[in-house]
Amino acid sequence: MILAVLFANSEGNILVERFNGVPAEERLHWRSFLVKLGADNLKGVKNEELLVASHKSVYIVYTVLGDVSVYVVGKDEYDELALAEVIFVITSAVKDVCGKLPTERLFLDKYGRICLTLDAIIWKGYLENTDKDRIRRLVRLKPPTEF
Amino acid sequence: MAQPLVKKDDDRDDEADYSPFLGIEKGAVLQEARVFNDPQLDPRRCSQVITKLLYLLNQGETFTKVEATEVFFAVTKLFQSKDIGLRRMVYVMIKELSPSADEVIIVTSSLMKDMTSKTDMYRANAIRVLCRITDGTLLTQIERYLKQAIVDKNPVVASAALVSGIHLLQTNPEIVKRWSNEVQEAVQSRAALVQFHALALLHQIRQNDRLAVNKLVSSLTKGSVRSPLAQCLLIRYTSQVIRESANNNQAGDRPFYDFLEGCLRHKAEMVIFEAARAITELNGVTSRELTPAITVLQLFLSSSKPVLRFAAVRTLNKVAMTHPMAVTNCNIDMESLITDQNRSIATLAITTLLKTGNESSVDRLMKQITNFMSDIADEFKIVVVEAIRSLCLKFPLKHRSLMNFLSNILREEGGFEYKKAIVDSIVILIRDIPEAKESGLLHLCEFIEDCEFTYLSTQILHFLGIEGPKTSDPSKYIRYIYNRVHLENATVRAGAVSTLAKFGAMVDTLKPRVFVLLRRCLFDNDDEVRDRATLYLNTLGGDGAVVETGEDVKEFLFGSLDIPLVNLENSLKNYEPSEEAFDINSVPKEVKTQPLAEKKAPGKKPTGLGAPPAGPPSTVDAYEKLLSSIPEFANFGKLFKSSAPVELTEAETEYAVNVVKHIFDGHVVFQYNCTNTIPEQLLENVTVIVDASEAEEFAEVASKPLRSLPYDSPGQTFVAFEKPEGVPAIGKFSNMLRFIVKEVDPSTGEAEDDGVEDEYQLEELEVVAADYMLKVGVSNFRNAWETMDADCERVDEYGLGPRESLAEAVNAVINLLGMQPCEGTEVVPNNSRSHTCLLSGVYIGNVKVLVRLQFGLDGPKDVAMKLAVRSEDEAVSDAIHEIVASG
Repeated sequence: MILAVLFANSEGNILVERFNGVPAEERLHWRSFLVKLGADNLKGVKNEELLVASHKSVYIVYTVLGDVSVYVVGKDEYDELALAEVIFVITSAVKDVCGKLPTERLFLDKYGRICLTLDAIIWKGYLENTDKDRIRRLVRLKPPTEF
Repeated sequence: MAQPLVKKDDDRDDEADYSPFLGIEKGAVLQEARVFNDPQLDPRRCSQVITKLLYLLNQGETFTKVEATEVFFAVTKLFQSKDIGLRRMVYVMIKELSPSADEVIIVTSSLMKDMTSKTDMYRANAIRVLCRITDGTLLTQIERYLKQAIVDKNPVVASAALVSGIHLLQTNPEIVKRWSNEVQEAVQSRAALVQFHALALLHQIRQNDRLAVNKLVSSLTKGSVRSPLAQCLLIRYTSQVIRESANNNQAGDRPFYDFLEGCLRHKAEMVIFEAARAITELNGVTSRELTPAITVLQLFLSSSKPVLRFAAVRTLNKVAMTHPMAVTNCNIDMESLITDQNRSIATLAITTLLKTGNESSVDRLMKQITNFMSDIADEFKIVVVEAIRSLCLKFPLKHRSLMNFLSNILREEGGFEYKKAIVDSIVILIRDIPEAKESGLLHLCEFIEDCEFTYLSTQILHFLGIEGPKTSDPSKYIRYIYNRVHLENATVRAGAVSTLAKFGAMVDTLKPRVFVLLRRCLFDNDDEVRDRATLYLNTLGGDGAVVETGEDVKEFLFGSLDIPLVNLENSLKNYEPSEEAFDINSVPKEVKTQPLAEKKAPGKKPTGLGAPPAGPPSTVDAYEKLLSSIPEFANFGKLFKSSAPVELTEAETEYAVNVVKHIFDGHVVFQYNCTNTIPEQLLENVTVIVDASEAEEFAEVASKPLRSLPYDSPGQTFVAFEKPEGVPAIGKFSNMLRFIVKEVDPSTGEAEDDGVEDEYQLEELEVVAADYMLKVGVSNFRNAWETMDADCERVDEYGLGPRESLAEAVNAVINLLGMQPCEGTEVVPNNSRSHTCLLSGVYIGNVKVLVRLQFGLDGPKDVAMKLAVRSEDEAVSDAIHEIVASG
């Protein structure tokens, strides 16, 4: 299960947080934990360089994309390697939506489309689509090209 | 936390035009949502409002029931618009709002229309939304369409239906299971992701059908799987099949191993890792099987990608727990990871090295760790401290450098949990390694000089009070303890007073000086501290002269309260103030055993100060107290050993019973811990009828029934046997629980007056040779062996016959003798054809025994063993040989 996807700006303010199967009372804890993790480790990290951490039996893969940081949290079959795949799909799709590495402003301008993109990638905690071209078409309600 | 967690818009007055969501407010956005009701819909405007709603929800904002319902009804109006972008937004919004069952009906028809639409993308999205908000009754209506969708030629539609199936399987399994033919067809799909989702769903549907999973794996491992994700799933299912297949012990022809090994050369890293992990987790994996997996993992240790390094070191860390020798080849690569920027990787590398390192590499390793400790978080430090504790217990000769390391990090900054982990470790090392005692105690003393945690200070003071007086120079601890009386809060001061009193009681020469110090405490401004000082001054007696302290005073100071605290608490709560004083003798002494769930919790960790009764000596103390309080057993003498509880019933039966075997010189007492798990029953007069016909040397002498056993309130009944004095008699006992059962009215909790006699068959119980051996380790086996009289040595050779492996044979002999393995020799390196194991223990009659076992493989499976025993009594050496010969 992919437990959470979280986007924050460079100051640690939340831009998007989506949880799956995480009780409401634990969400705040996760939010602060992830933001602190980013504050401690993301300085000077190259765009899309993946960092990894584990907290109890849960794995976290996170990275920087332009002005925003992206975190995905998973457990069981979504270990660090599967999450690396998930975050790769997310970052390429977000870049695709924004047309380049997002600034915070650009990210917020494209907010609606980014929500649709995330919806196409993750279905209630499961990875559903991985190809950025297909995702782009899905967001526009167009069928994939390759069939 | 470094950054404040405020919403994006609550700050930044100076950049007013920065965010499109600046100043966003839930109330205003809900007002704006009224635009959804306009007769002339403006799709662009509506999309913007939905985006704002999503922004609020994505930041953790919640809508009340009324708000959500209002927005939901308004959103449903948007189905009238034909704008594609808006429709996509509507789908997302409905899922986010997750409407309640009575509201769903409003959109069902619109969604069902979309689901059968000619536009593929409407179909896919409508399926996702419907499956998210549907219940069982609606699902049967749309089942037909879902089955069609699974085999739809558009991969997006098929994937949407399959992933929905994975979710619906949790809530409506019986419906989803009917789709297995379609899912089976989808597994053959040419679209990579459809195959991945279909494989996951098909496995979930058939996971309890071993044959079906076997067939699935067999067919797919022969063919080609299109996506790396699906290949990973296949590897997982393959390991499951290997685990469950019966003939997986014979090395060489393990089914599907070739498939796993082949996956190590896959182009996707994810697949390589999955295969490597699957191989390392195989049951009884041989080193030939393990080598290729370790080799690829080793390569990843130097990858430039942190995720791959982490995955590799995490896997190797796990392997090191079971096959430390297999990982030693990677030690050089692993050492370079100690300085890895990613602290998770560095910590895993260190803990792996601590598991695989040998005695000679300890010092070098500790040097590297010292540099690393200062810049990692407490949670990582705790992992390192625990690894160092295990290392020290494995190589006791290294206690000096390891203890120094622990004391150094104890002085540095750190939170409570971290400090507690260090203190616990030092306490465990003091307990287990006698040579480490004095230096360990001094480190603790220095720590309490500047300790900010009251809990740790009081626990250390208590521990000092027990261990300090037994050292060569107890006086040197007094200063540290008395400093507490001046410098600390009342809780710590009271603890220090008690500790001082213990020194006074145990060390007669110190008594006058302790008296002086205690008298000063009489003027403390806290009444607990004054009371304790007064109490101890009166109890110690002798008015400060150098006189021996009475046994009863020592018992008062050091003895534990011989009634369980829970019982005392209950009795005190039930006591109603009256003229009659509270009588401590009225408190029941029967120990409540732990609740079943807790007892079965796996992974017992060694505990330090936190839970004193967990250590073996204190458990024996508690048992000794309990047994001596029962008059029938009072004259059995000193308790030699109490076994760990042996379960006599299966899990989740009506009555849960386990037994503890208490061994005395001339007697054995069985303590049956019983729990009644039926709320409607009260058991009375509970006894165990023991048939000792297969234990000829034992004669029953006493039985103590349990008067009453209410629901979920454990109690004990005992049966005692006489046996020849000092003889390690063995035998088998069959047990029958006998009791009177009374019905209990669940509404009132009252039992009926009349009961019926009933019996309940329990499992058999054995008294074996190992019950007469105490596990007591020595820190330096060679020294201990050399100092033991060689005349009492007995050597002989034994053939153990064909064995599963050398390790299995070594374990079997250790268990047979019940002795403590020394210097980590219980671990048999992979692939070795010979092994030496060192054991130590104390045999009944308090005779020290040392055993040196040399194993060798004779032919492919036959194990031969040379057993050399030295003990303080040659008869005991012979007895050990007899145990092995007859075992």
